[in-house]
Amino acid sequence: MPEIVVEGISKTLGGLLTLGKINIKAGAGDFVGILGPSGCGKSTLFNIISGLLRPDRGRVLIDGRDVTGRTGRVSYMRQKDLLLPSLNIVENVSIPLVLKGMPKKQACAEAAAHFKQFGLAGFEKYYPRQLSGGMRQRAAMLRTYLFSSDILLLDEPFAALDAITKRKMQAWLIDVFNMINPTVMYITHDVDEALYLCDRIYVLSDCPTDVRLEIRVPFCRPPHGRTIAHSEYGAIRDKVMEALEI
Amino acid sequence: MITRPVVSVSMKKSRITADIFIPLAFIILILAGWEYIVRLRSIPDWLLPGPAQIVRTLVDNAPLIIKHTQSTLIECLAGFAVAILFSFIVAFLMDEIALLRKALYPLIVASQTIPIVSVAPLFIIWFGYGMLPKIIVVVLVCFFPVAISLLSGLAAVDNDYLELFRSMQASRLKTFRMVKLPLSMPSFFAGLRISAAYSVMGAVIGEWLGAKQGLGTYMTLAQRSFQIDRVFAAILAVTVLSAALFLLVSLVERLVIPWNRLGEK
Ligand SMILES: Nc1ncnc2c1ncn2[C@@H]1O[C@H](COP(=O)(O)OP(=O)(O)O)[C@@H](O)[C@H]1O
Ligand SMILES: [Mg+2]
Repeated sequence: MPEIVVEGISKTLGGLLTLGKINIKAGAGDFVGILGPSGCGKSTLFNIISGLLRPDRGRVLIDGRDVTGRTGRVSYMRQKDLLLPSLNIVENVSIPLVLKGMPKKQACAEAAAHFKQFGLAGFEKYYPRQLSGGMRQRAAMLRTYLFSSDILLLDEPFAALDAITKRKMQAWLIDVFNMINPTVMYITHDVDEALYLCDRIYVLSDCPTDVRLEIRVPFCRPPHGRTIAHSEYGAIRDKVMEALEI
Repeated sequence: MITRPVVSVSMKKSRITADIFIPLAFIILILAGWEYIVRLRSIPDWLLPGPAQIVRTLVDNAPLIIKHTQSTLIECLAGFAVAILFSFIVAFLMDEIALLRKALYPLIVASQTIPIVSVAPLFIIWFGYGMLPKIIVVVLVCFFPVAISLLSGLAAVDNDYLELFRSMQASRLKTFRMVKLPLSMPSFFAGLRISAAYSVMGAVIGEWLGAKQGLGTYMTLAQRSFQIDRVFAAILAVTVLSAALFLLVSLVERLVIPWNRLGEK
């Protein structure tokens, strides 16, 4: 599994220094959370890691290779599923394979082979508009996975879902993570979600953004699902809240 | 986790009833009132014929009217097809090349302010009394709504789709074909439906100014000899033709973008 290093990244957007000087690292197989107020530049950071945006300063290294400003190594999943309403789920999910040059039929077969693993079995021929928000996000995640199977960049993937669906999707994500063991960077502005899912959390400040706190979470992803019962939960949560100044 | 259909079957039925029967009843009421006044006041046929008389004229002259309708239909379809082809070429180029968009957009909007009736005679002078000048008028009338709706559909595509495809290293052409084109189709068809109705009007205007064939010609001739019932029969034919083209476009839309009707509220 690859290691992602974000080294001294800064970026000015619209004349405003958005990202101050960001250093973030995700080791192989880590599940790293990035927590920060909205508008602080979390999505901008992913745009930089995925190569869509060039930083003013700093580098992005994936497994030691400099990929700054270059697309093609990772893509990322957003709050919006961005499935094409004109294609069915299999066709949608197989897009990254088709773009890599695989014949359409083979790409669909390859994508369909993962449907069970991602809890999508039976929905191959459905159109996005026929599915619930939770199912659409699963499909969007499978599409992201098929582009780069070893790294998942997730930008508030469940933020638009209702609380119950969100909780189910988090449990599902943990299952998927345990199965495929990628390196994950997970953006959220939900403290409890971060504490539930992530091994390590970076807390970002308001603009100009820097890393306020880096903290390990010893109780993340417990098999029984109840993080809140852990003895250290309150103390760690307080530290995170303090860093967020809320 | 599939979303259930929001509208139940019985609700749908009652909505269709409301959508179809209420306007139908209204039309019947107006026609009955019209017929009643014409008979009560014994208004002469050359001034204002009643609906019954108009239908009789239509049936009596059916072969002739059908022949003229055919010419008008051919002009419409030909003009329509050319307008669509042009729209696609122009919209694609304008969407891809920012400079071209800036240069052409005002021109396209301005072209719409030219009154068709004032340029149509020029086409007759240049291209004679055949079908070509009418087809050109239809193209002019249809091009604007189709091109503008296609352009705005292309411009309205969520930038996040484009970024996603860029991050997956899709070429511009592939992004256009896979994302922009399908996502702009609903807007395109909205414009197409409008111009389907306009196209008949364009053809008729072209024929008014001089033609050997077509509903516009038939109408002018009937008008000059005060055969008002024939004028109305021709108007009826024009209306039916417009509605038929409108329905044709709606049908094609269903076939081309069936997904757009899914999950409709
Ligand atoms: N292309 C851009 N030009 C100017 N400002 C931008 C641009 N993209 C984002 N911003 C601004 O940068 C800030 C960070 O945006 P974003 O990364 O989306 O924040 P977050 O994901 O943390 O909510 C916001 O204030 C946003 O308005
Ligand atoms: Mg964001």
